Amino acid sequence: MRRVLLLLCVGALVGALGCQKGTEAPTTASPAVTGAKAGTAAPPETKYTIAVVPKGTAYSFWGTVRAGAEAAGRETGVKIDWKGPAEETDVARQIDIIENFITARVDAIVMAACDAKGLVPKVKQAMDAKIPVVTIDSGIATDDALSFVATDNVKGARQGTEKLIELIGGTGEVGAIPFIHGAATSDMREQGFNEAVEANPNVHAVKPLYSQGDVEKAMKAAENMMTSNPDLKGIFAANEPGAIGAAQAIKQRSLTGKIKLVAFDAADAEINALKEGTIQALVVQDPFKMGYQGVKLAVDAIEGRPVEKRVDTGVVLVTMDNFNDPEVQKLLYPEVSE
Amino acid sequence: MRAVQDNGPPAPFVQFVRAARLVIDKAGPAAGLIILYVYFGATTKGFLSAGNHVNMGLQIAVVALLAIGETFVIVAGGIDLSVGSVLALSGVTTALLLASPHPMRPAIVVVGGIGVGALCGLTTALLPRRTHPVPVVVAIVGSSVGALLGLATAWLLTRRDPVPVPVAIGAGIGVGTLCGLVNGLLVTQADLPPFIATLGMMGICRGLAKIQTQAQNIDLSGATSFMRLGSGRIPHGWGVPIPVAVLLAVALIAFLVLRFTSFGRYCYAMGSNKEAARLSGVNVKLHTTAVYAVCGLLAGLAGVVQTTRISVGQPTGGAGYELDGIAAAVIGGASLMGGIGTIAGTMLGALIMAVLRSGCDLKGLSLEWQEVVIGAAIILAVLADRIRQR
Repeated sequence: MRRVLLLLCVGALVGALGCQKGTEAPTTASPAVTGAKAGTAAPPETKYTIAVVPKGTAYSFWGTVRAGAEAAGRETGVKIDWKGPAEETDVARQIDIIENFITARVDAIVMAACDAKGLVPKVKQAMDAKIPVVTIDSGIATDDALSFVATDNVKGARQGTEKLIELIGGTGEVGAIPFIHGAATSDMREQGFNEAVEANPNVHAVKPLYSQGDVEKAMKAAENMMTSNPDLKGIFAANEPGAIGAAQAIKQRSLTGKIKLVAFDAADAEINALKEGTIQALVVQDPFKMGYQGVKLAVDAIEGRPVEKRVDTGVVLVTMDNFNDPEVQKLLYPEVSE
Repeated sequence: MRAVQDNGPPAPFVQFVRAARLVIDKAGPAAGLIILYVYFGATTKGFLSAGNHVNMGLQIAVVALLAIGETFVIVAGGIDLSVGSVLALSGVTTALLLASPHPMRPAIVVVGGIGVGALCGLTTALLPRRTHPVPVVVAIVGSSVGALLGLATAWLLTRRDPVPVPVAIGAGIGVGTLCGLVNGLLVTQADLPPFIATLGMMGICRGLAKIQTQAQNIDLSGATSFMRLGSGRIPHGWGVPIPVAVLLAVALIAFLVLRFTSFGRYCYAMGSNKEAARLSGVNVKLHTTAVYAVCGLLAGLAGVVQTTRISVGQPTGGAGYELDGIAAAVIGGASLMGGIGTIAGTMLGALIMAVLRSGCDLKGLSLEWQEVVIGAAIILAVLADRIRQR
């Protein structure tokens, strides 16, 4: 009799899975469908398969990278194979993914390294196998990759922190919430923050607390930072979870506007926090350009054209003053501009 | 002390020593907590402020809810590795229902409804002591259908954008319960080891959470009435933060259930010796299933609480929290061999972890060292337990 219950539950789960599939189908099926069409109608299309491997998949940042990569794919007739580890800390999983792509003999790999050193052997292995590798956003420690397409993170963080220092009136305590100690992007943004603080003798940096790429942990970090530094005047959040967590912590304490917050990236939640005044400025990168340029350079490499070693995609400081500029809107809502 | 005893001290002194030993035996985790609290209080600026106490409560609410569910499972001789992922799935389910229109909405509400119904059914089945099996099944199926119809009707009637907050919360908790129920059925009906069944569920739920959201955070800035639940207080304005109030209420209910109901006693019996429990007439399969359902329910609740707190539905949220929950239960004296553990102990364990984390953060101790310290705390707690039991 309990079997009935078991069946009921299994049925429900299968049903739920079925529904999930149903909604997911359009997103996964459409590239394949267009690919097939292109295959029959215009043979030269989809001439290459390029693997694009992000560091994680959870943040809208990576969604925009993907949009850029796919736009470049459509333009150049390349099939984009998008696959990355779920957590940005999961170096081992990313290594597995890259290995599998090498085994599958894709034509090129565009990747953002979870770990600057850990991925070096895999990049070498791919290059040795004549698969060109272009790194985007997060590079590797050596110059084995063909090209590195990214924001200059030190420069971007310095610009953001300078804005923060201006917002607090040029004097007082500020703190950084980087994400993972040891991850290249996180370390570079921390370095940019420190450089800007050291250039201002009246500004003092409190101990950084790390978000570990998780909103709740970021919120705890911001709460604890405010508790141990009652005179804190500003926070610099180095990525999306840090920004959302810090904004929530500031709101929770009704300190909106009193503690200034400058943050990297531009997820929906961050844009809303900017609009309501919890975040004063966003340091916005151009992830669309990273995905787009990464794939374009990879195609250049496959076809034997020379490739630039380092491409800076730049940052824009977004405040409510320039929020409605068309250029900024295009950066904040890349899907709309498509 | 032993030397004094050998010399034949007066009876009151022996009694005092025995009483003192008893207190130390019972109060190991409490003593640890007090030592840490005094240490951080004396050496760390801002640790003793009222604001930090509220913070510690808020910071531990989510993990403590998971730890309470984990305590039921551990006491009953199992383990649940899926709670962190179930938390994420429930959280994004609620978030999706509150955010923009979503093609999955009817499916989510129906799955949530089945979960809530299954919960009602299990509760009904567990209430009477010696019920005939047929009425039990009737009760389960009946209340499942009832709750399902209830939730579905609520959804159909309103059809508003966004879905009403209680329906969204019910669906989130329901999805969690259903995951727990499936865990329980896999363990009891398919006879899988709990470690394997829940490990599988861990992957399934994490994957489903990401599929539903296309692996993006779901922004809930617009859902103000829902977000107020995370920042509000009871009584309004100055009292206990709502997440902490939820935790306290759940802890109290869990304490009463584990301590004073037949279901609670069965948990200890099954965890101590499953076969003996079965032979003495405990419906082991039903109650084991219920234990996992309770754990899933609390993971679902934790997911909703986390979502109200952080203002986004986070498909990667709660990663590794299952281990924090298990650690809290173990520091609080629960035995992974089953049969031993209390809600009070688990709450102490959770508090110890909160105090350690907050204290280390405020002191400016690096994350790397915090990991070492908390790892050492787990080993020390269990070691102390072993020594006491010798």
